[in-house]
Amino acid sequence: MGSFAIETRSLSKTFVTKRGFWRRKTKSTLAVEDISFNVNQGELFGILGPNGAGKTTTVKMLSTLLLPTSGSISILGLDILKNTLEIRKRIGFTFGGARGLYGRLSARDNLRYFAELYGLAPEITRKRIVELLEMVGLTGREEDRVETFSSGMQQRLHLARALLHNPELIFLDEPTVGIDPVGARELRAAIKTLIARGKTILLTTHYMAEAEELCDRIAIVNKGNIVAMDTPSSLKVRIGRETVIEVDVDQQNLESLKIQLVKLDHLSKVEYSAEKLINRISIHTSEPENILRLLGPFLQAKSIQGLEVRNQTMEDVYVAIIQGEKK
Amino acid sequence: MIKSVIRIVRLYFFQAWFSYRALFAWSTPFNYFASKMGFPFFSMLMFIFMGKYVGLNDPIYIVIGNILLLPSLNGVSGMSMTIGGEKQFGALSYLLGSPAPRAPLFMGRAFFHILDGFITVLVALPLAILIFHLDMSQTNFLLVGFCILLISVTATGMGFIMGTVTLVSRDGWMITSTLQIAFYVVIGVNFPVDLLPPVLRAFSSSLPMTRGIQAARLALAGAGWSEIAPLVLGEILIGAIYILIGYATFRFTERASMKSGMLDNL
Amino acid sequence: MILDQLRLVSRQVNVQLRMRTFNWYTVALFFLQPAVFSAVGMILSRAAGNQAPDLVYTVIGGGIMGMWSGLVFSSTYDIRSDRREGTLELIVGSPTSLRKVEAIRTFSNVMAGLVSLLAAFLAAVFIFKYPLQQVNVPGVLISLILLLFGLWSLGVFLANFLVWSRLSGSLVDFLELPVAVLCGFMYPIQILPNWMQGISAIFPIRWALQAMQASLQGSEINGIIWQKWGLALAISLVFWSISLWLDRKVHNMIRLTGELSSI
Repeated sequence: MGSFAIETRSLSKTFVTKRGFWRRKTKSTLAVEDISFNVNQGELFGILGPNGAGKTTTVKMLSTLLLPTSGSISILGLDILKNTLEIRKRIGFTFGGARGLYGRLSARDNLRYFAELYGLAPEITRKRIVELLEMVGLTGREEDRVETFSSGMQQRLHLARALLHNPELIFLDEPTVGIDPVGARELRAAIKTLIARGKTILLTTHYMAEAEELCDRIAIVNKGNIVAMDTPSSLKVRIGRETVIEVDVDQQNLESLKIQLVKLDHLSKVEYSAEKLINRISIHTSEPENILRLLGPFLQAKSIQGLEVRNQTMEDVYVAIIQGEKK
Repeated sequence: MIKSVIRIVRLYFFQAWFSYRALFAWSTPFNYFASKMGFPFFSMLMFIFMGKYVGLNDPIYIVIGNILLLPSLNGVSGMSMTIGGEKQFGALSYLLGSPAPRAPLFMGRAFFHILDGFITVLVALPLAILIFHLDMSQTNFLLVGFCILLISVTATGMGFIMGTVTLVSRDGWMITSTLQIAFYVVIGVNFPVDLLPPVLRAFSSSLPMTRGIQAARLALAGAGWSEIAPLVLGEILIGAIYILIGYATFRFTERASMKSGMLDNL
Repeated sequence: MILDQLRLVSRQVNVQLRMRTFNWYTVALFFLQPAVFSAVGMILSRAAGNQAPDLVYTVIGGGIMGMWSGLVFSSTYDIRSDRREGTLELIVGSPTSLRKVEAIRTFSNVMAGLVSLLAAFLAAVFIFKYPLQQVNVPGVLISLILLLFGLWSLGVFLANFLVWSRLSGSLVDFLELPVAVLCGFMYPIQILPNWMQGISAIFPIRWALQAMQASLQGSEINGIIWQKWGLALAISLVFWSISLWLDRKVHNMIRLTGELSSI
């Protein structure tokens, strides 16, 4: 295999669950269906998708915790079935949420315990713990019990735990889930530091802005399939390099604006939504100047209550792709 | 008037069914039977062999005693889990915050435990006839049935108290389990309580089930009402006292927790 | 190398002990429950008209009971709490094999059970005046080591089922009392019907226990004792090899089913 950090071919995972005691009913759930992608060394690769899209299942297969039903995985050039132990030594992983730490133990003891499981020598462990707690901003709290930590702090401790043995490849499954904005920003800063140090990271999230800010490439998954995969900017180009104009108007002006908008042909999407007494029109267009010209008279008459002109965000791309899937 | 009675009755059964299901729904039938029949069966077997070793060749006394102990699993441990479990599942605040009348809410929790405990004994007795050749030819069935039902009810009195303890203390559940184990010694399950040292005998007579089990034993052997009446009346009295104390401590805890917030931060 | 292993052991035990703050459960399992069984034994003995209870079975047997229940309970508790806390998955995903982690934990659980045995033994000697002069000390000690080794092998064997799935884990709870009944903790094994004695032959602890009971009663180390020791050791080793084989199966199984993270 080549120099990819992660290489997957036609990866699928079906869960078989049995229910009942006397008459066992078997139910299969297809969690991941025929996924193939590669991640380069030093890349930050994002998997984006709604809840239940198969993100976590994919990460667990890549991190040796689950065996695929079919398909192949190569991690750092090693086969996942044959070289499980070697792979485990060289990767780190965290799963979102509050689980995965010993609440009654201090932060330092948690790290020491896992360092032991990764076979680190004590002098190295001591040094690493100081460095890592510093990096994730938990210096000064090392002796406190983890159950007293906020979810943001626990999440950062998770990251520190995953980095103990200095892994080349790191899997972060929804690292910012349930964290307040400040905590999430600190965590993102930590992730950027890691990339700067040459680590390869695979990150899953359902926060668009996060994916756009961090990732070199993004795979959007839905219902177990990859529906799009590219760099954030190319993904945006894919659905057209468009501008989004959002206009808030009252009922009366809404109608006259509608009539004029229908005449234009360079609009890729127009959406109407209403909240309380305000009507919002979202216009996706490649020629924003024409729309603004059209809005001129309305602006002069002060009949526009709000106006926003912005470039498309990852969220627009995501919504477009996932909705396209539904159709 | 009628409406409010219906409401209370409905609330009672609704509570009963839901709290019972909340406790047992998650466990598989295997778990259910194992905890219901398996554990009691094997601990009984242990006692039978212990008896056989010291020279008690007839296991029937131990068999009957352990069968009559079965309702305590529902009445004491089950009840304690049901009440204590509310806290664990975080449902207690909603319950205490609701305007529902307290007595049916509280008593409702006992109904299916009483029923379940009663039925367990009815299932176990034929098994005992089959396996241990329990002789029921002289048995006064009506009286035995009544005694079993009585034990099932009085056991819940203890359960109410232990449930409230479980609400207040982290170790409540452990105290309940310890008590459950202590039943093997103190309420006349494996040997007559007369064999206990005086201190334990006094403790034994202050517990529910002790007299009920004695009465049921006698009725099984063919005793009539007049013979067991003192035991039965004593059992009813003790049971009523325990249920009242249980209810009172629950109400007290409820009121105290409104002041201190005690029930929330555990 | 050996130092590394020792450090892993100490770290493991440290986490285990601190996760399980000293509580009622420990007291109840190691002391109260054995005491209750011993009390029942003594009163039954009196009910049967005996002058004095048999201390080896009634009192020290209670200690054995405590060791066994403690082992089953603490092993199930450890794995269940790791499953609940999500740390089981992290342990499996680390380069240290779960087998090693389980072996260490079970070992410390077995050793913790000695507290119960010691308490029962002290009770027999100081409260009930068990005559110490007749005891065959080397015989008891060798039997005890084999008993501990047997408990360890059983515990590691059962741990596989606990890791496998929650359902198979409940099987372990269910085995606690039957094994206690079958292995003759509180009475000589000859009391049991023949078919039950036959089943109990597969448990290494039964043989070690028989040798220990005989040594406590003053038997010298003769051919019969040697035979029991041999059986205890051999069967323990069989359990160890089954565990090794099972461990690989279970490791693959849990990665297929995703049971590790189910709570």
